[in-house]
Amino acid sequence: MKKLSFRVIICVLIVNLTIIPFLFVLKGYGATEEIDSKFGDSPKIDGYIDLFSGEWNKATKEEFFLDDLPIKFWVMQNEENLYISVQFDLVLEYHNTTEFIGLIISNSSSEDKDEFIDAKILQFSNISVNDFDYFDYYINSSIFSIDTEINGDGAANLDGTTSTYEFSIPIKNTLDNEGDVLLDYGNTYAFNITYGDIPIYPNGIKKSTIVLINLKSLPSSLPTLTNIILFAFCTVVFSVLGILYVFYIYKIFKLKANIKRVKR
Amino acid sequence: MSKIPKQQEKELKSKEKYRTNEKFAYKSVIISAILGGIFYIISLFFNTGFITIFMNKGIFWNFIDITIKVVAIMLFFLFMITSVGNYKELIGKPLNWKELLLLFLLSIGQTILNIWVFTFTLFGLAIIVIYLYIVQEF
Repeated sequence: MKKLSFRVIICVLIVNLTIIPFLFVLKGYGATEEIDSKFGDSPKIDGYIDLFSGEWNKATKEEFFLDDLPIKFWVMQNEENLYISVQFDLVLEYHNTTEFIGLIISNSSSEDKDEFIDAKILQFSNISVNDFDYFDYYINSSIFSIDTEINGDGAANLDGTTSTYEFSIPIKNTLDNEGDVLLDYGNTYAFNITYGDIPIYPNGIKKSTIVLINLKSLPSSLPTLTNIILFAFCTVVFSVLGILYVFYIYKIFKLKANIKRVKR
Repeated sequence: MSKIPKQQEKELKSKEKYRTNEKFAYKSVIISAILGGIFYIISLFFNTGFITIFMNKGIFWNFIDITIKVVAIMLFFLFMITSVGNYKELIGKPLNWKELLLLFLLSIGQTILNIWVFTFTLFGLAIIVIYLYIVQEF
């Protein structure tokens, strides 16, 4: 009897240990990387990483896998946009004509599935002639609906065996953020980087991985002592000029009165 | 034959001419001072950073911003020097170098927040002063 009870307890434990974790994991993904964004000048979003102009030189560069696909991932920001570039090499015959790279963005750093409500997708319509489209989707219960207002920009290009995808996503753009994640400075957001080969979302997604991107805060614009002194000097100059000008106008009117008196 | 003696007629004509010149000089003092005041206000708004619509929007807009600042200061200097010069003439004194230097320094003082505006204005004011000096000499 004791042996039987022991076996039942062990079975229950094994069942619990195997099933209960799935209840938690099912709703999330699990981030593989955490990347700190860096400030830099805005690159040209054209699907080319111009090494001569060094447009992406100030970006944070990471290399990781989308499942089994090694990618180069570059992140940079300025006061207006977050810039992301994804680059990978594939033998030409493995590049699908309608391949795409998508950034599915979470509302926060949470990797809960329901938090991923925004998708920016660069979709090739014909990779052999570098024909692509940039899509902005709103996600509700895993259903992708196209946004009425397309936020951000993107460009893709296949050069030899290397395909490059460049994204520009507005930060703190409050003009029209319906259906978009409102990225804010100093916050962390989970990005699901996805690769697929058929323009059907989310079914076309073949590989994906989550990264956390820490957006930098805007540099504080505290005035330096030199600037304060210069501004004070400038204020003094303009004040003195203002006073002297008023005094001069007074003298002109006084002169007119004097001329009239002399004439009389 | 005229009842007014020729000498008296000459004096009258000379007086009339002086009055016309005086009127013209006074008008010039006022108009130049008003224009100087307008450019002072434009310079105040742009050079202290009240108006920043053209700043940090690219090279072209920065150029426009610097041009507005420099031109405003130079026109302020030019109109004020004309006004003060005529004012001094009306009260019978010449414009001395101290007044010229004060106006020059107060004009240059407006540019202190921007090195480019400072450089171009210094260059422009130097040209104006040299021009005025040459004009006076001839």
